[in-house]
Amino acid sequence: MSIAVRDLVHVYHPGTPLETKALDGVTFEAAKGIWVAVVGHTGSGKSTLAQHLNGLLLPSGGSVSIDGVTIRSGEDSLRVVRQKVGLVFQYPEQQLFEETVFQEVAFGPKNWGFPPDEIKYEVEKSLSQVGIGPEFFGVNPFRLSGGQKRRVAIASVLSSRPDYLVLDEPTAGLDSAGKRQLLALLLDLKALGKGIVHVTHDMDLALGLADIVLVLDEGKSLLWGPPELILGELLEHDIRGLVIPPMVRFAGKLRDLGFEVPLTWDPVRLADAICRSRRP
Amino acid sequence: MKFLNNMTLGQYVPVDSSIHSLDPRCKIIATIVCLTGVFLVSGPYGFLSWGLFFALMVMLSRLSGGLILSTSRPVWILIAFTSIIHLFFTQGTPVFSWGILKITHEGLEMAARMGLRLLMLVLFAGFLTLTTSPTELADGLESLFSPLKRFGFPAHELAMMMTIALRFIPTLLNETERIMKAQIARGADLDRGGPLRRLRAFMPVLVPLFVIVFQRADDLATAMEARNYTGGEGRTRMYPLRWSIADTATLMLTVLFAVAVTLLEKRLMA
Ligand SMILES: Nc1ncnc2c1ncn2[C@@H]1O[C@H](COP(=O)(O)OP(=O)(O)O)[C@@H](O)[C@H]1O
Ligand SMILES: [Mg+2]
Repeated sequence: MSIAVRDLVHVYHPGTPLETKALDGVTFEAAKGIWVAVVGHTGSGKSTLAQHLNGLLLPSGGSVSIDGVTIRSGEDSLRVVRQKVGLVFQYPEQQLFEETVFQEVAFGPKNWGFPPDEIKYEVEKSLSQVGIGPEFFGVNPFRLSGGQKRRVAIASVLSSRPDYLVLDEPTAGLDSAGKRQLLALLLDLKALGKGIVHVTHDMDLALGLADIVLVLDEGKSLLWGPPELILGELLEHDIRGLVIPPMVRFAGKLRDLGFEVPLTWDPVRLADAICRSRRP
Repeated sequence: MKFLNNMTLGQYVPVDSSIHSLDPRCKIIATIVCLTGVFLVSGPYGFLSWGLFFALMVMLSRLSGGLILSTSRPVWILIAFTSIIHLFFTQGTPVFSWGILKITHEGLEMAARMGLRLLMLVLFAGFLTLTTSPTELADGLESLFSPLKRFGFPAHELAMMMTIALRFIPTLLNETERIMKAQIARGADLDRGGPLRRLRAFMPVLVPLFVIVFQRADDLATAMEARNYTGGEGRTRMYPLRWSIADTATLMLTVLFAVAVTLLEKRLMA
């Protein structure tokens, strides 16, 4: 049970002067209950990849399958896929349009044809998950603050009861408190068994929270593995547009100097290791 | 679901050609002359002459005929619709009838005339924007309208508005596509049902789009003001327009051609 991407190729505007190969043979897998981070420089194809995961774009080559079902054109099969894989676009608050928060979050489940009492249940559950209390249900979403709007928008995807959640730069433009809240929410959702695909260009976030990291470069999957493994590679090879977190550079430098410390982004772990390697 | 990928209606195509390098004012006036000319002819000789004239212009512009036709594609339906209306609703001597539907001799003539006329209008107008950059076009219009400034006509402001509007069309298409995708991802069904249902189904796209557009407009206005934009008065022009002999010659030839075609057709039809 997973999202499986095999040799995915995507070409925008094929056969015209605007032809762009945005994805060029991407392979990876995202399972339920696992947090996958997709990192890469701007233009490396992250957003294009995200749109493939719920059939908004269809492969020019290769395949994407959800729980064993390959995505192909045809409205009915696409609807199943789109309900299973919730996609949160960058700046999702820009898609709000209903008159009340409740209506907004009910938009998705209504489209999928959930029965009314189920809709009510899902809407209330999703809003409470993102920390929006009942006092906001009747409020016009345009009157909320930036962070609240973002959370309502995410609730409006959660309410369709997706098994997987794909988020394209979900923390962009949030202040650090908003960021922390959002990431905590994603951790909760992961604990509930949802598969998380987190698109970001922030290495700190990716390394600190993800179970597995996919590094994209020029539309190709360059690296794929647990954060520790990716870190080693990152220190050895300079990958365009990816900033190595300072803590990791620090650990790398210590290792160069002969200290036996792990390559880690976690300051507490690093400090422990330094102390231990000093005292015999 | 088809997205708004191939909208090329009148999008500027930069090519190095004798048409592209003409003064925009020359091209604007010449286009108006051609449009008037197309309105004045009504028979086969007239349309044929203008068709040949257009083909010659296209050759000089070094744009491909296929491109020109494809840019007019969005309005084909409109043209076909107009023709069909004229075909069925013109009174006269019937040549064919089927139930209450009646095609008359006059109807056939009208349908051909209106269809061709509309097509030529679209082609000539589109040709202007295909061969003239939005900035040139705006500068040209501003310059042509500037004599009216004395009577308080906002020539510069209109030109600036046009430039900004044209500049934002691609951005708007991108935004529209992005919002459409976001709503489809939430299960919105945007392309099923009749026109009324579709219009209703489009609310989830239209509302956010309005919000974004107003936000953008507001940001742009602030950014322009912050850089001290106060209108046309005393503003430097980077590329002053230059009228050359070629412009005079082109314009004169176009006017002569239009007059000749109009008069000749009157003769031939009489
Ligand atoms: N709708 C589109 N039409 C044409 N080209 C696109 C479109 N969207 C993205 N691209 C191109 O595809 C490449 C990958 O873009 P994208 O997936 O947005 O990367 P990222 O999200 O990593 O910044 C870029 O070169 C971009 O210009
Ligand atoms: Mg992106």
